Amino acid sequence: MIELVNLSKRFKQMYAVKNLNMFIEKGEIIGLLGPNGAGKSTAISMLSSLIEPTSGDVLYQNKSILKNPSAFRKIVGMVPQDIALYEDLTAEENLMFFGRIYQLSGKELSRKVDEVLEQIGLRDRKKDIVKKFSGGMKRRLNIGVAMLHDPELLIMDEPTVGIDPQSRSYILETVKRFNEERQMTVLYTSHYMEEVEFLCDRIYIMDKGNLIAAGTKDEIKQILSSENTISITVERLNDAFIEALEQHPMTNRVTIGEKEVTILVPRETKAFSEIIKLAESTKLDLVSVDNKTPTLEDVFLHLTGRALRD
Amino acid sequence: MIWQIIKKQGLLFLRNPQQLLLLIALPIILVMILGTALSGMMNGSSSPLSLKIAFLESEGEEEQVKAFLADVKEQLPVEAFAEIEANLGNMLPVSTIKSVFDSEEVRDFIEVEYLKPSERNEIIKDDSYTAVIEVPKNFSYDLLTTMIVGGTAPTLKVTYNEEKQVGTSIIASFLTQMQNQFTKQNFLAQQGIQLSELAVEEMKAEIVTVNEKNPIEATSYYTIGMVVMNVLFIAGAISYYAFHEKQIGVFNRIILADVSRWVYFTGVFLTGMIFSFIQAIVIFAFSWLVFGISWPDVGLFLLVTVAFSFAVGGLTVFLSALNYKLNSEMITNFFMNIIVILLSVLGGSFFPIGDYVPAIQSMGNMTPNGSGLSAYISILRGENIAAISENLLFLVGFGMIMILIAVLCFPKRGVSA
Ligand SMILES: Nc1ncnc2c1ncn2[C@@H]1O[C@H](COP(=O)(O)OP(=O)(O)O)[C@@H](O)[C@H]1O
Ligand SMILES: [Mg+2]
Repeated sequence: MIELVNLSKRFKQMYAVKNLNMFIEKGEIIGLLGPNGAGKSTAISMLSSLIEPTSGDVLYQNKSILKNPSAFRKIVGMVPQDIALYEDLTAEENLMFFGRIYQLSGKELSRKVDEVLEQIGLRDRKKDIVKKFSGGMKRRLNIGVAMLHDPELLIMDEPTVGIDPQSRSYILETVKRFNEERQMTVLYTSHYMEEVEFLCDRIYIMDKGNLIAAGTKDEIKQILSSENTISITVERLNDAFIEALEQHPMTNRVTIGEKEVTILVPRETKAFSEIIKLAESTKLDLVSVDNKTPTLEDVFLHLTGRALRD
Repeated sequence: MIWQIIKKQGLLFLRNPQQLLLLIALPIILVMILGTALSGMMNGSSSPLSLKIAFLESEGEEEQVKAFLADVKEQLPVEAFAEIEANLGNMLPVSTIKSVFDSEEVRDFIEVEYLKPSERNEIIKDDSYTAVIEVPKNFSYDLLTTMIVGGTAPTLKVTYNEEKQVGTSIIASFLTQMQNQFTKQNFLAQQGIQLSELAVEEMKAEIVTVNEKNPIEATSYYTIGMVVMNVLFIAGAISYYAFHEKQIGVFNRIILADVSRWVYFTGVFLTGMIFSFIQAIVIFAFSWLVFGISWPDVGLFLLVTVAFSFAVGGLTVFLSALNYKLNSEMITNFFMNIIVILLSVLGGSFFPIGDYVPAIQSMGNMTPNGSGLSAYISILRGENIAAISENLLFLVGFGMIMILIAVLCFPKRGVSA
């Protein structure tokens, strides 16, 4: 349905997005993952025709949207990263205003506004001024506004930032439902791994403007297939144990927590017996040793050497 | 679509009563304060401007005149001398000035104290005087002599109080007018024509116009002054809203809905125009109900209001476009805090400054508010469309230039965070 071809955006000397290639098929939920400043918002601003790329192209049904974005704009719903609502108007007034901006009117408009209020769970609060809403309610309305014209493609830019866990899972469930019930295509941007893991079929990972990995969840986790992540929990850590671990030929990377050490080891290593030996020789009391299934978080750590959230 | 943008702004105003209060109630309160406090001055009665002049004369005019007559008697033919002697009563310069000062019309307006030169130093120190006029020794003798035989005329020595700038400029222009009259008289006398009586009459009339240029009530004047000033705040307020729409991403939403940016632009323009029209009408309606200010020609009144709102609409998109372009509210802030006040002073919203300082009058007419004010006052005075056509043209032209600049500045697409 949509393809990004060598898309780049430069602000002064800095590339916010560099040679991004991506495709989105109808009915998919695509995850775009990356830490703050990775270039996610810039990428989707170009994708949605809001800003012009420095170079590269965006194709919709094999036609560039750069010169004539009208047809494309009609099928896109955009949920911006920041709440783009009139805080002094009520939920309903906001929906009515944006609905009219989308050329809806009369019965169709009120039907659509009702429907969206129902979907985002704000029907009871429709007469309330947005200013008085909680962060989660504002986020939901922010999504609702993008749904008014039944978009085929919903682009969501970090739609769960700064809200409580209930609102968050409500939003995730809603997105999943939209996708299943209406075959709505979704591009979901986030710096939360677990959201993307929960929602998405395919994932793109960006860092510092570059695409660093792309593929299905399984494909991406394959990147880690050569390594196992082992989590060691202890009574009390001592330096001798850490030093012994770091020096041991099997360990690729050591991450130290308060009562926990995570290590990456080659897949075939008999790590358990080695760890027990090291613990004995350094007089350390082990609580548990687990072989963790890799997460996207681990993938990001593996690819960049940095945790996703700093 | 455009209508939605305007309607939404109406809702936003209604949800912000403090803002409404600022835009509607404040000007009304200002009208009441300024109208009562300054009405005395405007109506020419007890002048709070207190134009006070000290007039210092070192010697009597009569002796000088006698000396003059004695000296010219030999030099002139008998008939000419007889003519001068007969008309001398009308030619005495100091007496003429005094008679102008003492005339009823001027007395309402300028207070003159006749003092001795020995008091000069104290007077100069006293801040209540706007100007000190000193008649040099032999002034009348010298002046009469130049009238008959030519040469350079002596001048009065005038010391202005620099702290009273407005009053100073009034007196300066007053004296310039007198001087012109004497010069004319001087010239005519040399041609053997005697016009002194006429000249003094003419001079009086001119001075009186300074005072009577505003036969309209102070409250009327200040209602208009406050309307044309406060309507400018509408342009600022709406450009704030427009920039806020950019900041929170509503503008992007509108662009993504495939609404042309020119539709949005037109929406902002019309919002500015319509709300400034409404604001003006509300304040004028209030002034009609409370102060009884009614318009002799309602059609012309509406025409000026529309033209003025058009200019304010232009100002609104101009400010909005610059904010968008520079990605900051700086321009609007600057406009609201500084430019509006400057424009208001120049345009005469606080004080009919242009009536006293003609240079400022023409500058004032080059501001949208000053031009609107002039037009409204002309209508109140019962003048017709011809009298305000220049103001109307200026307002429409100003609005169009603002729109043009705004069009050139407005961003091409959506805006990134
Ligand atoms: N309008 C802009 N002008 C200059 N730099 C920008 C602009 N927008 C974004 N950037 C920069 O581009 C980089 C990517 O930003 P963004 O796309 O917002 O990242 P993300 O959404 O992944 O957090 C950041 O370093 C940001 O500072
Ligand atoms: Mg972002």
